[in-house]
Amino acid sequence: MILADILTGAIRSGTSVMLASQGELVSERAGVINLGTEGSMLGGALGGFAVTVWTGNPWLGALAGGLCGLLIASIHAFLVLSCGANQLATGLTIMFFGMGVTAFFGRGFVSEQIVGFNPVALPLLSDIPFLGPILFNHDPLTYLSILLVPLLWYVIFRTRIGIMLRTAGEREEVLFASGINPKLVRYLAVLAGGFLAGIGGAQLSIAYTHAWVENMTAGRGVVAVALVIFASWKPARAMLGAYLFGAAQALQLTVQQQGYAISPFFLFMVPYLLTLLALLIVERRKSSRTPEALGKVFAGEGSG
Amino acid sequence: MKMKRRASSVLLGALALIMLITGCSQPGSNSSSSPSGGSSETPSASADASMGTGGSAVGFIFVGTKDDYGYNQAAYLGSVAVEEAYPDLKVLRAENVPETAEAERVMEQMIKDGAKIIFPTSYGHLEPALNVAKRHPDVVFFHQGGLKTSTNVGTYFGTIWEPVYLAGVAAGKMSKTGKLGYIVSVPIPQVLLNVNAFTLGARSVNPDATTSVVFTGSWCDPGQQANAANSLIDGGVDVLSLHQDCMKTVIETAERRGVMTVGYHADASSLAPNGWITGSLWNWPELFVEMVKTAQDGQFKGSKFDGKYRGTLADNVVQLGSFGANVPADVVQYVEDQKKALLDGTLLPFAGPVKDQSGGVRIAEGETPTVEQLEGSDYLVEGVIGSIPK
Amino acid sequence: MKTQTGTIALSAGRWPSFARWKKRGVQTMIFVAPFVVYGIFLLCYGVNPVDLYVSMVKSAFGDLYGFGEVLLKATPFVLTGLAAALPAKAGLVNVGGEGQLAIGALFATWFAVFYLNAMPALLGIPLMLIAGALGGAVWAGLVAVLKVKGRLNETITSVLLNYVATFTVGFFVHGMLKDPDSFNWPFSPEISSSLRLPIVNGTRLHIGFVVALVLAALVWFVLAKTRLGFRIRVLGSNRLAAERAGFNINKMYFWVLISAGMLAGIAGMIEIAGIEGRLRASTGANFGYLGFLAAMMAWNHPLRLIVTAFLLGMISVAGNTLEIGSGLPSSSVNILMALVLFFILGGRRWSR
Repeated sequence: MILADILTGAIRSGTSVMLASQGELVSERAGVINLGTEGSMLGGALGGFAVTVWTGNPWLGALAGGLCGLLIASIHAFLVLSCGANQLATGLTIMFFGMGVTAFFGRGFVSEQIVGFNPVALPLLSDIPFLGPILFNHDPLTYLSILLVPLLWYVIFRTRIGIMLRTAGEREEVLFASGINPKLVRYLAVLAGGFLAGIGGAQLSIAYTHAWVENMTAGRGVVAVALVIFASWKPARAMLGAYLFGAAQALQLTVQQQGYAISPFFLFMVPYLLTLLALLIVERRKSSRTPEALGKVFAGEGSG
Repeated sequence: MKMKRRASSVLLGALALIMLITGCSQPGSNSSSSPSGGSSETPSASADASMGTGGSAVGFIFVGTKDDYGYNQAAYLGSVAVEEAYPDLKVLRAENVPETAEAERVMEQMIKDGAKIIFPTSYGHLEPALNVAKRHPDVVFFHQGGLKTSTNVGTYFGTIWEPVYLAGVAAGKMSKTGKLGYIVSVPIPQVLLNVNAFTLGARSVNPDATTSVVFTGSWCDPGQQANAANSLIDGGVDVLSLHQDCMKTVIETAERRGVMTVGYHADASSLAPNGWITGSLWNWPELFVEMVKTAQDGQFKGSKFDGKYRGTLADNVVQLGSFGANVPADVVQYVEDQKKALLDGTLLPFAGPVKDQSGGVRIAEGETPTVEQLEGSDYLVEGVIGSIPK
Repeated sequence: MKTQTGTIALSAGRWPSFARWKKRGVQTMIFVAPFVVYGIFLLCYGVNPVDLYVSMVKSAFGDLYGFGEVLLKATPFVLTGLAAALPAKAGLVNVGGEGQLAIGALFATWFAVFYLNAMPALLGIPLMLIAGALGGAVWAGLVAVLKVKGRLNETITSVLLNYVATFTVGFFVHGMLKDPDSFNWPFSPEISSSLRLPIVNGTRLHIGFVVALVLAALVWFVLAKTRLGFRIRVLGSNRLAAERAGFNINKMYFWVLISAGMLAGIAGMIEIAGIEGRLRASTGANFGYLGFLAAMMAWNHPLRLIVTAFLLGMISVAGNTLEIGSGLPSSSVNILMALVLFFILGGRRWSR
């Protein structure tokens, strides 16, 4: 039973991180790393919450959340791609910008109440023993996020758009030769990434917690970026990583309730240490291949 | 590029020069020797009378945001009352002031802007306040929750564990499984004291009741709160309480999953029409106005606020919240009776013997703990499941 | 630096200083623009930006105390900035100043409380400084080992370790380092007054600022004037060339990261010995990230970093003024900070 609880908890608390890391994955596939994912998530969390307050419709809220995430990511895209700014520094600045802007405009929303998304148990499916309650008793955004993963895999690896995306991150001169502007592809990729991160933030505010408070993502965007590297830029792995992170959070809470004499501070570290460990294992197996343009960023040549 | 380099080296030189001129002249000295002279160890009567008077402003510093539906909002409401009672005084507020030496600068700025009375409202603001107070003997500081005082620093707080105990009684009566959950941030004494009071209350009506306590490491992280609430509910608790600065997420999550809730800091009954039992509230407005008046009149020295003032349930500084619609009348009646007993002194929540988790006696039979003992709690009582770091 | 276009070169030929003036004009605009944008933003909220900027400058330069506050604020930024700038010269991205500062502060406090309390200042303070540097080095060492042995990208590992560092400090201040006289509140005992850094009269400014200046100068000297610095720069600008020249790259990465950690660790020690006096869970929060941004603004130049750290210090201090004076939330100053950075980052192409 405890195992089922932890797995359910993994999906519950991992979904926002998962959405953001899928977005970051798209962006990085095109060769742009965006540490500002945290900022996009915050923008999405506030935008989604605000629109849900105004319209009473969480679907509009989710859309608005995505658009706010996109808007914040567009600053990153502009500075990095059009102005040649350093990607990592710009991303970090976006993170601070996101915190400041959302804290400022979000003040009035802290005390608001919303009718957001609620968990919907899928008929029949949720009656399956063990798996049913784990997989099929979530809010609509969580279901959509699970469907997104195979979709994203298909787009990236099986469609022309995906080829363009990957080529932008690997061999931009090939794109040039075929008459496509790699900068445009990258722009779109960063914006799409921001959109998904924004929805991730909105999932947190209008589906999972039904609340907005200052800086409520509390580092989830940063973890999302780390998970993409763990995932070797593969959507299914990013999903696995995000749920692993979620499971670590659920696990530490379960351990606390058993009353073991372990300092909660050690337990708080578990998700981060687990992410580090996972990174190490992946790197050991050498199965990952960094998109070439990203490799340059990491080698300190981080301009567009 | 060269120009820029030259410019920056000029600036550098200037900085270095200033450093030399002003002189690092006081080796070994630190904040304890203040520029305004620490010689006035025994301030004269006239200094006492002018202390805290004549200011054009009152300063409030908060550790979080004023609309968090919690600890900071409660204090903020107090500052609003001061604003209304003293239209001539400018109320200066600073939110999100970290509990570090950074707070000193904020207080210095407020003093510069005319404040002679300052309310540092978070526990961690105490040390910075004591430092600033040494430099400004004419300014009165009212610190919320502190256990140390000085000539011009008094502390105030409320015995919130009284209503928390009563809420625990209500929770113990209402719970069917006898398993209660408590979501807290970090193991500080105020938190442990409340968990203990809640558990003692619940066990006074159901000796088998247990409280599972979960630390989130943060005062307001809704995501973490939702994780914790779900995890506790999965673990079988049917009443959830919390000690966090914001509480919307926990109350709503519990309500959605059909679990009852006990609030803290503010009334959140509207968030949980079905599951709300009751809550513990702060009521600062009248107290804050009274404190400002005392200081304004030059009466701070020797007043009840010069030292450690603790407002009680009887003083109406802390309150028991309203009962939820689904709380049966006999439970309400029982809790009200307990409240009366508490008010007239026949009920002492922490009357010994109080045992900790390992069964060791912390408060002996027939003993009543002092405020210092309670506010320095470093243990969890019998019946609490969870551990605190040693 | 050599990307001047033909037309500018031509006109520069006719009027030698035109290109330079143009460049300076652009640079000035990049500096002024964010304040204009932010001013418009403030106007929308009924705050007079001119008043605000005047009071900002006044509070920073008006008296010795205010000036001291800005320098005080800038001190850790200089050091954590160096912790980012030095690895950057070697082609590494260290975003871990945050955690390295925290662990530096932890080590410094640990040694101060348990071993150095009875020591005279002349011996105790340097030892405490070494302890701080050691703490930062240990934390950066983790990043370095993961980089060199585990081939893990240092950007990501250093960020993740920042979170772990915060919890580590939390663990100690709630446990082994808890002040026995604090009524169980989570902070360390106060360090002995002999270990406190000397301060400048009339301010809270301590000689830690001089330490930061000296270290900045030292880093600059090593990078610009020594063979070691030359090798670091070669590694950073062209790893392939460094490989061909037979440099032991992993060893260099390792020691550069360790040195960066030491610099951030010293920042942590200075926070404790200079101003806080004891360790809290929140000591130095965000100083690492702000230092990283200061380094970016300075294009990783150790001396220019001092200026940018000062600017960020000024804006941080202004946040309080803004809030107390006009009632705007202090978070709005983050917006100003981000705007300044946006313009500097984005304007880089046109300003050189």
